Amino acid sequence: MRCRDVEAMWDEIRGQCTASVRQAVDGHLHDCPHCQDLYEEFEGVAYCLSCLPQPEPSCDLTKKVVEHIAQIRYRVRPEPIILTAIETPIGTLFVGFKDRRIAYVGIDTGDDLDVVRQQIEQRLRRPVVGGEAPPWLRQTLDEFFATWHVDESHVDLSDLTEFEQAALRAAAQIPPGEVRSYAWVATRIGKPKAARAVGRAMARNPLPLLFPCHRVVNAAGDLHNYGYGLEMKARILRMEGYRGS
Amino acid sequence: MPPAVGPKPAPPAPLKAVPGADSFERVVDDYQRRLYGFALRMTGNREDAEEIVQDSFVRAYRALGKMSPEQRAELRLQPWLYTITLNVTRNRLRSRKPTSVALDALADPDALLRESLDGPPQPETIVEQNAEVALVERALLQLPMHLRAAATLRFIEGRSHPEIAEILNQPIGTVKSHVHRAVRVLRRILGPQIGRIVAEGDTAHALS
Repeated sequence: MRCRDVEAMWDEIRGQCTASVRQAVDGHLHDCPHCQDLYEEFEGVAYCLSCLPQPEPSCDLTKKVVEHIAQIRYRVRPEPIILTAIETPIGTLFVGFKDRRIAYVGIDTGDDLDVVRQQIEQRLRRPVVGGEAPPWLRQTLDEFFATWHVDESHVDLSDLTEFEQAALRAAAQIPPGEVRSYAWVATRIGKPKAARAVGRAMARNPLPLLFPCHRVVNAAGDLHNYGYGLEMKARILRMEGYRGS
Repeated sequence: MPPAVGPKPAPPAPLKAVPGADSFERVVDDYQRRLYGFALRMTGNREDAEEIVQDSFVRAYRALGKMSPEQRAELRLQPWLYTITLNVTRNRLRSRKPTSVALDALADPDALLRESLDGPPQPETIVEQNAEVALVERALLQLPMHLRAAATLRFIEGRSHPEIAEILNQPIGTVKSHVHRAVRVLRRILGPQIGRIVAEGDTAHALS
């Protein structure tokens, strides 16, 4: 057997192969330090891969799939999100709502309405239709900008994972104009090691402003990151009365 | 780095009857971890992996609904679900703009680490706190997709060559050659780190 053939046999002889093949390979390896080294390194690579931890999906993945399929099965179209634009002290907001509850907020950054629509469809997995802003919506937003707080009866978090909901509710506990760290939120929801997951939940927040991901910062107290840019994060915080940098 | 998983779970029971929502729920329950692990290793991103798994099951459900009872009886569920997951993953990664995290990481392996937030690292992130795990994860993401799929199925999912051939719809010879090439490339990327990881794994193993 030549080195080339032996090299190609490596994965083969790890599984089932005939005794004669194995014998031939073993014989070659015995006399060929080069192939021996190569086999050892290949084994090392296989070992490294087999050691990767088994990742866990979020605990509600099955539930989500089953719900999704139930929709197909009974041909229930998911209730659409009604999308409207509304003027507020912070500028134009794109607001999506259903059932008299706000499900999506986006700050107008000059994006095309179709882009916003796509974002909502992807994030909430619901169709989006355009509509007028009803009086209750104006009133809810007026109240929000007067108090920097929104009552949960006016918002809809039901399309989010349990973890995301918990993280956003914890963020809502931070008083206006103050900031807390990702780790603080993580501890607050009983998952002190999940600071990064909190970061991801904040980044995916479909209700910015109302659920104040802008009040969540890094451990050093730096504003760190914001979907609409750090300037916007600072601006919102200053409007709330924040006195930090 | 000791092996984190013991023996892989036994393969779930094959699908027999017409899949009503209840029996399909069993299928989802049985396979979601497996498919999620596969999608995560392929994409390196948790949100992507979850959405891929969801889309894959929905596709599977739709396809099952269109099959005749005979087709369903002949169906080998596990490889078929892997195939669907791989297709969904492929479509998703292809439509990705070249600014995605995975591709950034390819150009700059430290990008993923720099992106990390403050606070204690936690086990549920794809970028592991364990430097060795992160190293191997990143190396895998640097492979071209067909080699990554072959290596993941062979060494992480523990599938045999004939099974992989079925999943990828390729001749066994092609599978073997892809697996082999993947290992060669990984060996080059990981280089001298391999010996260190194996040695540390052995130590950790001896201590546990």
